[in-house]
Amino acid sequence: MSYTLRGRIESRLAAALLPFLAACAIALGLEAWWPVELAAAMIGAGLALDVGLYHRLLPYQPAWAAIPLGLLELTATMALVRLFDIAAPLEPALWFFVASWALAQVLGHAGWPLVRLTYAEDGGELGRGGVGLVALAPTFVLLVLGTAWATRPPTVHLSAGVHQGPIVITTSQILDGEPGTIVRGGVVVRADDVTVRDLAVIGGEYGIEVDRADGVRLENVSVSDAKLDGIHARRSSLTIRNCRIDSLGNPWAQGIDISFSNDKHPSRVTGCTVVGGLEGIVTHFTMAMIDRNHVSRTTLRAISMTEMSMGEIHDNEVWDALGVGIFCNDMSMCEIEDNVVVATRPDRASGDAARAGYGVLSSFHAEVELGDNELATNPVPVGAVADAHIVDK
Amino acid sequence: MSTVAIVGGGLAGFVAYQTLRAAGVEPREIVVFDPDPDPVGAWRPRAEAIRQVRMRSESDGHCYPRSFPGLAPREAVRRGELMPLVQTACNRYRPSVEEFLRHVAELRGRSGWDESVVADRVERVSAVRGGFEIEAGDGGSAWPSRHVLLALGHPGLAVPGELAGDPRVVHAYEPHPYARRVAIVGAGMAAATEWLNALAAGAEVVSVRRRDPLRRALNLPRPLFSKRGLEQFHATSPSERAELLAELSAPSYPPGQRWDEPLDAASAEGRFRVTDSVDGEEQVICATGFRHGYEHDPVLHRLVEEHGLETHGRWLVLTPHSTVAALSDGTRTLAVAGAQGQWAYPAADTLVGMKYAARRLLRRITRCRTP
Repeated sequence: MSYTLRGRIESRLAAALLPFLAACAIALGLEAWWPVELAAAMIGAGLALDVGLYHRLLPYQPAWAAIPLGLLELTATMALVRLFDIAAPLEPALWFFVASWALAQVLGHAGWPLVRLTYAEDGGELGRGGVGLVALAPTFVLLVLGTAWATRPPTVHLSAGVHQGPIVITTSQILDGEPGTIVRGGVVVRADDVTVRDLAVIGGEYGIEVDRADGVRLENVSVSDAKLDGIHARRSSLTIRNCRIDSLGNPWAQGIDISFSNDKHPSRVTGCTVVGGLEGIVTHFTMAMIDRNHVSRTTLRAISMTEMSMGEIHDNEVWDALGVGIFCNDMSMCEIEDNVVVATRPDRASGDAARAGYGVLSSFHAEVELGDNELATNPVPVGAVADAHIVDK
Repeated sequence: MSTVAIVGGGLAGFVAYQTLRAAGVEPREIVVFDPDPDPVGAWRPRAEAIRQVRMRSESDGHCYPRSFPGLAPREAVRRGELMPLVQTACNRYRPSVEEFLRHVAELRGRSGWDESVVADRVERVSAVRGGFEIEAGDGGSAWPSRHVLLALGHPGLAVPGELAGDPRVVHAYEPHPYARRVAIVGAGMAAATEWLNALAAGAEVVSVRRRDPLRRALNLPRPLFSKRGLEQFHATSPSERAELLAELSAPSYPPGQRWDEPLDAASAEGRFRVTDSVDGEEQVICATGFRHGYEHDPVLHRLVEEHGLETHGRWLVLTPHSTVAALSDGTRTLAVAGAQGQWAYPAADTLVGMKYAARRLLRRITRCRTP
């Protein structure tokens, strides 16, 4: 089809209307602005490409070009997501983009030509409706984005250097460290919608404590030398992304412990490296997804879901754990897939047969679904004890 | 008085009829004049003559008023196969002539076409107060109508003057077998098709042409099919536009192995060569297309003369909406579709072009409608 510039813009905005409204609804449901920001980034990237590139280079756009152009728009959208630091999780963001793109294709090739006889020969223009859309849609999008901007939590910048803690956060905010920011004595989060990012915590009772707070995000943080757990969360929902926890000096601490949060939104731990400690990542009575982490040299278990927890453990790498690599216990329900567990050592000193160097262990009425894990050089690759079940997917 | 009279019941008239019907205009409000009520009565023998088996493109291969869906979903359902849908998604679907004819017959049956056809030849169209009067049939019965669409088709086949009367000559669009030695005159799509057809039939072929043909996928650049290119086209001066139209109608056929391989192979065997004379050949096929120009059509020529309509060279000057400005106002419309509508839409003789004229006529009818 040969679009006019006006036709491109009108078709773009008309196709984006429904996804943008859907994004508003999702944002309300999640109580988070990222869906709206993502949709706006998508529209912005598309319009910029329409004006700056497509109109100049594509006097005629064959139908098959939708796929390469879609990939280009996806790249541009994700670049904007990164540039503006939009907190959109990758997978939902991709699905949102794909669904919106597919809708735009259906409308462009079938919907508008059915509704409007002259759609193709008008170069994608939508008549008076299109003019109204061009006038109103940007206003609406800017209004929603403005609201998002006005209601977003304030950002507190921590300058590079050492700050004496503990820092106690009691209001919603973004605590943003410059490169080289160190907090001594820990961080305590006691408010919803708090983001802590780009800082190193040294020492403290717990490295980072999250207490009765929802929608907390911990990104690019590191913790070392905490007296107890690296990250300790109670009755909270949080996302921990790209963290590093060093508990090598403390064989009795947990690396990351998220507990007693089963009535909260699910939590997620992803992309973290946890070294040493009693348990690397553990949940008690919590719904959680634990994925793409590296856990090593733990003295009790590397990854553990216990006390009626429920969730997924996938794509993690576990090595050199003492006793048990991945553990699902006490009526918990765990999907354990695509993990690599190697070189688990038997804990002979404990005298406990359930610590004989299991790659994956299901215990006490727990239910495990196993799929495609790589379990190498573990004395016992997989085991189930005390009325626990393991099902291969 | 009918609301719309369509003069010419070929494909251009048929497409216009379907467009009006889809917008809710009733068969009793439309009169179609043509001695042959079959909308493909003129097109089918031409397609058969050049052994055409597929339409040129998907968009130029159906008469639905809307550009979507074309014939691919229909064919997929009929054959119980997904292939037509895959082809349409990849811009590779070209309906077969058989599928197209079936589709025309189906539309004809369900749209009420035959109710609206008056099987008479139109002798004269004249503007009267508040509309037009159409004289049809030998008796010259007069039919009043508020809006008229002239869908007159091509005004005859073109045969070079020096070959007129030569008993060896047949036009490519007339039924013909192939002799053993064939001269094919012309260098466009029809000529290229005839080269391959004659070679496939075992003939020795001589291509007679004044210049080498252009190789282009379509005669027109794609933007000229939509507002993007048309706005620029409509902004040209009359002389620029006439020059552009002449340039666009220069003979051409598409590039590609499908055309080159058989010709290269036949050249190597000595069965295909290019020359500038038809001397010594048993059969001469004129693949020289159609006659061009309003003056070759008696109805249009008379209308132009009687009403002093504006022309430029061989073209009748039209507004961008494919209407004749001097005879269109708030109460009536004289519109032109098909080959004679090139001044408004360079590809007017394609199905896409016929829809362009029909949609614009529809817009005017809707605006001019009175209770």
